[in-house]
Amino acid sequence: MSARRTSTGGLIDRSRTVRFTFDGKTYTGCAGDTLASALLANGITLVGRSFKYHRPRGVYTAGVDEPNALVTVFKDGVREPNIPATQIELYEGLEAESQNRFPSLDYDISALNQLAGPLFGAGFYYKTFMGPVVGPIKGTRFWMVCEHFIRRAAGLGRAGYDKDPVRYERMNAFCDVLVLGAGPAGLMAAEAAAKGGRRVILAEQEPRAGGAANWSGETIDGKPAAGWAKTMAERLAAMDNVRLLTRTTVWGYYDGNNLAALERVGDHLAARPPGAPRHRHWSIRAEKVVLATGAFERPIVFPGNDRPGVMLAGAAERYANQFGVVPGEKVAVFTNNDSAYRAAAALKKAGGAVIAIIDVRPEISAAARGLAEEAGVVPLLGHAVVGTAGKRLTKIMVQRFDAATGRLSGDVRPVEADCLAVSGGWSPAIHLASQAGRNPAWDGRLNAFLPPEPTQEWTGAGAFTGAMTTAEALSTGRDAGLAAASKKASRAKLPEVAAPALEVNPAPVFEIKADGKAFVDLQNDVTADDVRLAHREGFVSVEHLKRYTTLGMATDQGKTSNVPGLAIMADARGLPIPDVGTTRFRPPFSPVSIGSLAAEKHQHFKPDRLTPIHDWHVERGARMMEVGLWHRPMIYGDPGETVEQAYIREAAAVRASVGIVDVSTLGKIAVKGPDAAEFLDRVYTNMFSTLAVGKARYGLMLREDGIAFDDGTTWRLGEHDFLMTTTTANAGNVMQHLEYFLDVVWPDLRVHLTSVTDQWAGAAVGGPNARKMLEACVTRSKVDNETLPFMGIVHGEIAGAPVMICRLSFSGELAYEVYCGAGHGTHVWEALMEAGEPFGITPYGMEALGTLRIEKGHVTGAEIDGRTTARDLYLDWMLSKKKPFIGSALMDREGLIDKNRIRLVGVVSLDGQPLGGGAHIVEKGSLEDLGESIGHITAFCYSPALSKYIGLALVKGGKARHGTRAFVSDALRKRFGPVEIVSHHFFDPEGSRMHG
Amino acid sequence: MVERISPLGEAFRPGTYGNLAEGPGVTLTEATPVTIAEAAAWPGSAVALSGAIETVTGLSLPAAPGAGVVGGGAVAFSIGPGRYLVAGAEGLSTKLQAAISLDMGTVTDLSHGRAALRIAGPRAEWVLSKLFALDFSPAAFPVGEGRATAHHDIFAQIQRTGGEQFDIYVFRSFARAFWQELCAAAEETGYEVR
Repeated sequence: MSARRTSTGGLIDRSRTVRFTFDGKTYTGCAGDTLASALLANGITLVGRSFKYHRPRGVYTAGVDEPNALVTVFKDGVREPNIPATQIELYEGLEAESQNRFPSLDYDISALNQLAGPLFGAGFYYKTFMGPVVGPIKGTRFWMVCEHFIRRAAGLGRAGYDKDPVRYERMNAFCDVLVLGAGPAGLMAAEAAAKGGRRVILAEQEPRAGGAANWSGETIDGKPAAGWAKTMAERLAAMDNVRLLTRTTVWGYYDGNNLAALERVGDHLAARPPGAPRHRHWSIRAEKVVLATGAFERPIVFPGNDRPGVMLAGAAERYANQFGVVPGEKVAVFTNNDSAYRAAAALKKAGGAVIAIIDVRPEISAAARGLAEEAGVVPLLGHAVVGTAGKRLTKIMVQRFDAATGRLSGDVRPVEADCLAVSGGWSPAIHLASQAGRNPAWDGRLNAFLPPEPTQEWTGAGAFTGAMTTAEALSTGRDAGLAAASKKASRAKLPEVAAPALEVNPAPVFEIKADGKAFVDLQNDVTADDVRLAHREGFVSVEHLKRYTTLGMATDQGKTSNVPGLAIMADARGLPIPDVGTTRFRPPFSPVSIGSLAAEKHQHFKPDRLTPIHDWHVERGARMMEVGLWHRPMIYGDPGETVEQAYIREAAAVRASVGIVDVSTLGKIAVKGPDAAEFLDRVYTNMFSTLAVGKARYGLMLREDGIAFDDGTTWRLGEHDFLMTTTTANAGNVMQHLEYFLDVVWPDLRVHLTSVTDQWAGAAVGGPNARKMLEACVTRSKVDNETLPFMGIVHGEIAGAPVMICRLSFSGELAYEVYCGAGHGTHVWEALMEAGEPFGITPYGMEALGTLRIEKGHVTGAEIDGRTTARDLYLDWMLSKKKPFIGSALMDREGLIDKNRIRLVGVVSLDGQPLGGGAHIVEKGSLEDLGESIGHITAFCYSPALSKYIGLALVKGGKARHGTRAFVSDALRKRFGPVEIVSHHFFDPEGSRMHG
Repeated sequence: MVERISPLGEAFRPGTYGNLAEGPGVTLTEATPVTIAEAAAWPGSAVALSGAIETVTGLSLPAAPGAGVVGGGAVAFSIGPGRYLVAGAEGLSTKLQAAISLDMGTVTDLSHGRAALRIAGPRAEWVLSKLFALDFSPAAFPVGEGRATAHHDIFAQIQRTGGEQFDIYVFRSFARAFWQELCAAAEETGYEVR
C-alpha cells in the first residue's frame, strides 16, 4: 500500500485507537484524525467516483475545499450524503460509505461513461435531449423523460427519506469584535482586541485553533508553531471577554454586521450528551469584524490531474505534519511557486521518499533550493507534468515547459510516483468579504483576487489580505485587533517567527495544455476543454460560463476551481484575467444543515394556547380542537357517541335547561382613558359614548374600506373604562388595528389599550334555567331581571371568588357571561357546575356553540369573512348616521351597495341530508351539471330545535329569496339536493327567550 | 381568599433534568408575583407617573428606555415608552389606581393575565440567548432593567432580577407552552425545577 501512518509526529494521539467502517469494512485510526487522514493512513487512496464520468477519485485536499472525497455518513438512523471526508472527525463507530458507484467503488459500471468522454462535454445533455423529435415525444417533453435517467446516472450521494430525529438549536450572540479564523492572524487579532477591553468572539471552522500553524512546521517564539497556537488559544479561551468557538463556520455575512454561523456541536461525538444539539445555528451581531480566513491553495490544470494520488501540496504537507500520514511511498511535487518546497521537505521529514520536484519556473529562490536539498532532490526546473497513469496513480509524465509561452518541448519522460503534490499558488479566502464588499481586486503578482473594498464594518488580516507569510500574519492580525480595540492598547511585541524566506508570488501558470482530460472542477467533472467549448459557443461571461459548464457549483462552490477556470477563459478570449471578471460569492460559505436553519422544534412555532379551564375539559373527556393557537373543547362526547350525536345532545340540553361553555378565548382589550368613549365611537359603527356605566352593547367594526371587520360586545365598567371583547380568531388583528389608529391617526386621543384576554376566565351559562342556577351560587349581588337586565353587568362573588357577570346571549337563550380572574377560572367553573347540577347542567363545546348560533342566525368569522359588508349581513341597523366612523366614508361605494351582492340568508335542507360548508347554492342543475352559483353555504348543522339540517348562506338577493327553493350543489362531496331559502333567524326570531 | 391556580399544571415537575454532568446550569421556578399591573402614562406625564409609582412602591425609576428597579417588596420596569410593569404584594393595583390620576395615565391589573417564569443560575444567559435575540450580558442588560420582546407568538417581558436571574412575564395562556420551551432549551445545560 502506498500511503501510510508515520511512527511519530503530528497532532494525533496514537495511543487512542478509534474504530470506524468505510464501505462496510472496519478500520482503525487515531484520535485527532479526520476520516480522510485515517483512510490515507490505512492506504486507501480511492474514495469516490466522479460526478459525470465516474472516474476514480481520491482525497484531494485536507480541508473544507475538498471537491472529491465526498462520502455518506450514517448516524442516528439517518443517512447524510456529500460530506467531505476531510471535514469528518473520526469517532468510535463512525460509519461512512463511498458514493456514486455501482456495484462497488473499485468496479463501477458507469465508469464506461468516460470512454464516451468527448461526447459528454459542456451542455451535452441539453444539446442532445432538448431538441430531437422522437415519435410523439419532442422538445422539452423528451427532455423530461430523459432527465430522470440522466439524474440517476450523474450526481453525488443519495439523500435519505427518514425523519431526522436529531436536535438542532439556534443561538443569538452579541460582541464588539468577531474574528473569523483562529490561525496566527486571527489569534493575534483576538488577543489585541480582547486586551483592548472588547468583547470578542473568535470563530474557527476546524476543531482546533491554529490554522496553518498546525502544519507549517515553522517555529514561533522558539516553539513549534502548533504549540504556540495552542497556548495562545488556551490563553484566549480563559479570558472573560473572549468566546472561542471551534468547529464553527461563519457562512453568511448579512446587513448590519449580522453574521450567520454553524457550530458542529455533536458531529465528532459517538454519542451526544443529553440535550446537546447536533448543530447550533449562531446569529452573531458584531460591531466590528476581523476577517482572518486565510487562503486556499489552487491546483494546476493538466491532463490526468484527477487521478487518486494527486493532491494539493499544502494538503500533503498537512497530512504529514498534522496527521502523521505520508500520503504516498514515492512522492512527486509539481509547482509554480515556492510553497510546495516546504511540503516536499515536510514529506521527506515524515519519512516519505520525494522522487522529484517539477517546477514550471526556470529560476527559484535560495530558500526553495534549501528546502529541495532537505527533501533530497534536485528540482526539475522549467518542466511540467503533462500526464498521469494508473487507476491509482503509478506514474507521471514530465516534459520541458516554457512558463513564458506555455509551450512544451522535448521528450516525455515517465516518473514513477504514487503521490503527486501540486501547487498552483494561493488565493485569499475572500468569500465573506465578497458578501459584504464590492468587487474583488486582481493582484498581478500573487495572481489572485484580493479582498474588495468593504461595504460593512470589517477589516482583514493575514493571508486573507494577501500577506502570505506567518510574520506578516502576526503583525497584520495584531494591527487589526488593535484597530478594533476601544482603548489605546499598547502594541504587544510580535512573536518571532523562524521560517524559510520563500518567494510568495507564483509564476502565472494555470494550465498545462497537453492531450487528455484536464480537470478544472473536479467535483462537477468540468475540463479545460469544456471551458474552451463554452467560449466557442458564446458563453464568454463568467456567469454564463458557470451556468453552462456548472464550473464552481455544488458543495465545494469551486473553492479550488474558480481562479483556474477564469484563467483558462481569459486565455481563450485573449484578455487579462481581471478583464474577464469574477463571480462573487454568496452565502453559504460551506454547506449548512437545513436542520440548523429550522433549529427549533416545530411546535414552538405554534405554541399551545390554553384556557384557564383547559385541564378540566381534558379530564372531563372533551375532544379538543385547535382554533388558531387555542385549544378548545369540540364536544364532551359520551362513550359511543358520534360528534353529531354529541353536539345535538349538548345543544338540545341548553335549550331545555342550561348549558355552560368556556368562552375564555374571546379577545379582550381594556380601553381606558378620558377619550375612551370618543375612541369607541370612531372605531365602532354604532354609538358607545351613550352607553351607561354597568351596561354592555354589541358593536360592529368596519375596515377603512367599508368591509365588515369584527364584532363583539363592549362593556362599560366605568366612565373612562371599557372592556372590549372581540372574536377569538381576530383578537390580535383588532388590537393592531386599534393601536395603529391611536398611534398614527389620532395621537391626540388619550386612550390606552391593554390586552386582557388572559386576565379573565369566561364561562357562558345559557338556558331557561340559567338565572335560577346563578341565583344558587352568586353572592354579593342579585341576578334578577331588575338588577341584571339584558345587557346589564353586575359584580359579585362565586364560591368566594370575585366575578363580573354580563347578561348577554349568543345562544339565544336566557344567558350570562361570567368572568373571573383567570387563576380562579377552574374554581368558579366547578362552582357553576355544582350550582347547575340540580338542573342537569351540560357543558358544551364548539360544535354545539356553532349549532346554537346558527339557529339564531348570529354571524361569526365565517360570515364576516373580509368580503361582506354590514348590509350584506343585515347589520345596517348598526351603522350610525349621527357620526363618522372607520369605514363610513367608503361603505356606500357603488360596488358595496350593488343589488346583486350575496347577502345573508338561512337555508333548510329539504331532503333530510346534511349540508356542507362552502357548498354552492344554485337555481337549477344536477350532480353532473352543477349549474351557476348564486351563493354559498358559510355554516351548517343539524338543528335540534327545528329537527332539520340547516345552514347559513350568502346568496344573491338575500331576503328577496326568502321562501323560494334552490339547490345545494357540492361537487367536492358529491351532493346535490333541494333547499329552501329562509330568514337566517331560524329560532325564536323575536328574542323572547333571551329577554325573558 | 380563593387561591390563584398556576397555569403550568402538570408541566411543572420539580426535579433535575437534562445534562447534569456539571450539575444543573439553571434553576427554573414559577415566580408570579401576587399582583401584576401595567401603568401607562399619557405623553408628557411619564415623570409624574413614575413619581406615583415611587410613592406607592418606593422604587425610583430612571427615565430611560428599558429602565427598571428591583426592590424588596416590589419590582418595576419599562415595557414601552411611558409604560411600566409593576409587580408586588396584594393590593398594589388598588394603590396604584389611587395614586395615578386620570390626568396622569391609567392602571390595568394583570395579576391573573400574566405569569412570571424565573430562570436563575450560571447558564441563564446562555439558555435565554437560545430563545431571544437580545444581549443578555450584564453590561447590556443590567440588574433591574426590563425588555419587551417576543418568542414567535409569545410576547415576553423580561426583567433581570439578579446577577444570574431573569423573570420572564408571559401571557398566562402561553405560560405552559413557554415553560416547556424553557425546559427544552435548558436540557443542554441541565436544569432543576423548584
